[in-house]
Amino acid sequence: MGSHVDVHPPIPAKEMEVKKDEKVDYLNLPCPAPYEEIHREALMSLKPELFEGMRFDFTKGLNQKFALSHSVFMGPMEIPSQSTETIKIPTAHYEFGANYLDPKLMLFGRILTDGRLNARVKCDLTDNLTLKANAQITSEPHMSHGMANFDYKGRDSRTQFQMGNGALFGASYIQSVTPHLSLGSEVFWAGQHRKSGIGFAARYNTDKMVATGQVASTGMVALSYVQKVSEKVSLASDLMYNYMSRDVTASFGYDYILRQCRLRGKFDSNGCAAAFLEERLNMGLNFILSAEIDHRKKDYKFGFGLTVGE
Amino acid sequence: MASKRSKRGSSDEGVVARVSNSEIVKQGKRAASDAAFVTKKLLRSTGKAAWIAGITFLILFVPLIVEMDREQQLNELELQQSSLLGTPPPSQ
Repeated sequence: MGSHVDVHPPIPAKEMEVKKDEKVDYLNLPCPAPYEEIHREALMSLKPELFEGMRFDFTKGLNQKFALSHSVFMGPMEIPSQSTETIKIPTAHYEFGANYLDPKLMLFGRILTDGRLNARVKCDLTDNLTLKANAQITSEPHMSHGMANFDYKGRDSRTQFQMGNGALFGASYIQSVTPHLSLGSEVFWAGQHRKSGIGFAARYNTDKMVATGQVASTGMVALSYVQKVSEKVSLASDLMYNYMSRDVTASFGYDYILRQCRLRGKFDSNGCAAAFLEERLNMGLNFILSAEIDHRKKDYKFGFGLTVGE
Repeated sequence: MASKRSKRGSSDEGVVARVSNSEIVKQGKRAASDAAFVTKKLLRSTGKAAWIAGITFLILFVPLIVEMDREQQLNELELQQSSLLGTPPPSQ
């Protein structure tokens, strides 16, 4: 919510400038969105954190920079299987987390009762260079992984280097071409799986709409379009096509940010309807309702939760 | 076999048997059973479509309507309060 607000203020100013003298100052283009986040507006409306069961999250700030979080989740967990029918087993876990938030350094740690440990670091090395790292350690062999990103933010471009375990290397670059249009490209190489690929992306955004397109040599084509109808309402649609497996999914969703609640709903071409409601009951007390209905698989998921303190 | 029986029926059975064995009645029966089958299928698929549409509406739009209504009520309440107190509504 906050992240897509802070990108837009420079654009209206630019637009005014363009309209005034019909001449684009190509040396003063705005900084584009990061390559991995070009779909963020669409993802924000179309991919809420749907869950099934009950969850309770509690965050308590010990002082201005340090906070502890506790969360409990109970509900069925899906187990991947070959058959079309999904197998669910009931699970319950507790998660303990510690956050350290500072403008220059952010640290997040999470540990679950089933032995998973997740750690994330975001550190500004200089004004333009940021290091992001995350690691996940599990008790199962070959499931632990780690990754580190170096982001360099230029005046009208962004560059990122990525490396992870299993000899995974990646690089991406995105450049603003006009005040509204930015073009980017990425390459990656996964040494362990002997795979490499290249991808291209384009993003066109004004203060009323965002349109993005992305293709990759893995066969993935993703298009998305978000229209901001008003300050409170945005409508989003996206189309995912995989050339290798020949499956296409189109979805359409809405995102209402009202004073007391935020409501997101979507419907996709697989016959799956979902809604996610975050209702603010009180200051720092949120009630969450999640519903997902898959008409084709006859898989119905409902969840509720409570979030305290944020 | 059927034609044999109908031939025999025409010679030594009554009018009712002759009518019920005649070609036109057979065709009518077949048409009626086909129509019943199609109607049943149509009804079933319509029912299924209605079910899917209804559930989708219940999931996607009922919460939206409820929340919009609440928002409007809140706005009205604020407007009323501001007109009573004569102060501008607090900007959020």
